[in-house]
Amino acid sequence: MNKLILSVLCAVALCAAVVPCFADTVNGVLAEERVVNLPNDSGKWYISVVGNANDARYNEIVGWFSTNPNLKKLKDQVHFCQVTTDTAIYKERYAGNVKGLPTVRMQKADGRVVYEAAGKNIPMTAAGLNGALANGVYSAEGIRPVLPWRREMERRCPGPGPCPTPQPQPQPQPDPEPQPIDDNGPPNIDEPAVESAVQWAWLPALCVLGFLGGLAGAYGRQLYEKLHPPVK
Amino acid sequence: MKRLLCALVLLVACAGCEPHFLANTPIQQERPAVNVPKADRQSNWLGNQREGSCVHASMISLLRWQGRYRTADYWRRTYGNGEWPEHMAATLDREKIRYAHVTNGDVKFLEWACKTRRGAGITVMGGAHMVCLVHLDAKWAGLLDNNRVERIIWVPRETLIAEWKASYGWAVTPIYTPAAPLPQ
Repeated sequence: MNKLILSVLCAVALCAAVVPCFADTVNGVLAEERVVNLPNDSGKWYISVVGNANDARYNEIVGWFSTNPNLKKLKDQVHFCQVTTDTAIYKERYAGNVKGLPTVRMQKADGRVVYEAAGKNIPMTAAGLNGALANGVYSAEGIRPVLPWRREMERRCPGPGPCPTPQPQPQPQPDPEPQPIDDNGPPNIDEPAVESAVQWAWLPALCVLGFLGGLAGAYGRQLYEKLHPPVK
Repeated sequence: MKRLLCALVLLVACAGCEPHFLANTPIQQERPAVNVPKADRQSNWLGNQREGSCVHASMISLLRWQGRYRTADYWRRTYGNGEWPEHMAATLDREKIRYAHVTNGDVKFLEWACKTRRGAGITVMGGAHMVCLVHLDAKWAGLLDNNRVERIIWVPRETLIAEWKASYGWAVTPIYTPAAPLPQ
């Protein structure tokens, strides 16, 4: 009899523990799960490429953000906005504040412009645009130096290579691939590879110069002591 | 000599100065945060079952704000009539739309939607209607009603939250890239 009572009590205790879980499920676990997984990306920066959808230059620049690895990486870290001149968004929000077309504009989450270039002021190559955007990030974040990073980049890509060909898009343009969902804030550009101020090729010459300098110093001191004997 | 000293002191004093006036320029937050252009605001329409399509209209306005013009056009051509949370979720899943929703009146969801500048469709009028929440701050909420898309309706935050919670607390939004803020 005692065993039976004990079993019933155990079963009741078990149900008491489980039932609230089901109640939660009924009250919208799916919704709760989605709330937890919402991207906390309000601090993300924005990169906008504004231009005419039929303009080859605009399409070329947009294409760079898919073909150039650095720009592709940057694109994945920001809100990337393609704005074409035939949209209401352009006419109402951006037509009055771009200096020309196409325009590339990088903004902080609060709208402050970190980098902007329009028309002929946009760098000629994808690597150039990446460098310009990186400069914008460095300036805004107070990161230095910039030049060695650019030198390093140019060392890696010394000559003129094949330009990425613009990808003509059929009309109407499909919506772009959605960006990854994440909690990123400002873009994280790789730390610049800081080059030594002294080139290694100059090292032997510097050693010789140092040696000669030391010799001259020692000789000069002896000469001084000879000319000015200590007064005793 | 005194002049030289004065000049030196002045030089040293100025050396530490940085022009902070640019950095300190106050940022003017856009109101509403989700400032959907008038031409992109989808008006409500009667579906083939003679029902209003406020949920779809809200979704279309938000899709356009988040740069999904083709999806928005497709949605306008394909869907209409009244909706309820489960059916809408199933439709969004089937169309592979990235979205988030709540049906439990969690205000954190509304705060997230406006903080990330995405906005959300929210139920009002006891659940009979859906409008776009386009702004929510400590005091005010901005609503874009698809029955009157010309202007934003401003109501106190508490009033909006009370209305929403009394209307089943359903909110839904696509998750794509919101339009860039106005340059500062």
